[in-house]
Amino acid sequence: MGALTKLKDRYSETEIDGEIIIMRLDNGELLSLTDTGAAIWRLIDGVRDRGQLVAALNRQFDISSQDVGPQVDDFLTALKQAGLVASV
Amino acid sequence: MQRETRISYGPVPRSLGDQNIAEIAWQMAGDRFLLRAAGDHYFFYSRDEGITVERGDGAVLEEEELWLNGSVYAAIASMNGLLPIHASAVAHRSTVVAFTGVPGSGKSTLAAALANFGLPMFCDDTLVLDLSNPDEIVCHPGHKRLKLSPDAAELTGAEVQERVSPAIDKHYAHPAADVGDRPLPLGSLIFLEEPIAGAERMLRLDDNHYTAHLFAAAQQFSRGEQFELRARLARAISMARFIRPIDRSVFAGGVSLLAEYISGQPWAR
Repeated sequence: MGALTKLKDRYSETEIDGEIIIMRLDNGELLSLTDTGAAIWRLIDGVRDRGQLVAALNRQFDISSQDVGPQVDDFLTALKQAGLVASV
Repeated sequence: MQRETRISYGPVPRSLGDQNIAEIAWQMAGDRFLLRAAGDHYFFYSRDEGITVERGDGAVLEEEELWLNGSVYAAIASMNGLLPIHASAVAHRSTVVAFTGVPGSGKSTLAAALANFGLPMFCDDTLVLDLSNPDEIVCHPGHKRLKLSPDAAELTGAEVQERVSPAIDKHYAHPAADVGDRPLPLGSLIFLEEPIAGAERMLRLDDNHYTAHLFAAAQQFSRGEQFELRARLARAISMARFIRPIDRSVFAGGVSLLAEYISGQPWAR
């Protein structure tokens, strides 16, 4: 899996009270991200791959990669299926 | 409840059914209840025999009171025909006023703070209701210790005691005034609402009034432009919830409360 990048032409986003709100431009669906979900979204920068993202998340939340790996994968899959993120 | 919640220490069963109980789980069968906390910490209740606690090597003793006053207490109440609800409460004259809401909504803080207004604390976190009298719902007085964050304790002047557990940044505390200790009828249950924050600030702006339709027709905004507009408004505008009392007898009180709120806001100064 290569670097994870946001497909910026597919959505609009804003941050209010620490909560990230994303709207899919194709169907108007809103996605709300808080805590670790918001942290993962912020870490997707077009440079980090999945492994680097998990490592950064571990440092940020002081947790082991075994704990968060599957959840990160599920979350990234959901973002990809929504057309918001891709691996390049 | 006092008789049923007496505690002894010793070995307890590992199951009330076919399978051994998992960690952080409970089982209920007939007049028996079994709860397993972390570190092989077991709580067993049998009607008329009270509670037996078994402490495994990894038991977190600081959390024992939390389990006893929370899940175990609520289970025993439920098994004895009482209804436990997630609420903190104060007494006012001869009735109880209870506050309920999601964790973090300020139930305990409010109960502690109202002690400063001469309203004794009645219970914290779990309110037990006796429904046996068809004409009246009676509240059983609960635990006499609040669980407060350091900020809430300072804010309310409550007397801070030991930390609730190493993992929870709350301390046990005694309210600044007396506590209620006799059963009283329930006067009111007040739901504590969360402030409007995050995504809700945008969603609240989704107006179905004709004015919004006229604006949309005039501007012909794209989905993205509408989103940007709402995001800007949500970030820029102070928002609050106010449930206006409809009853004429309390109309003036509601208006007065709102006037006080407005004058106290930073943007109103």
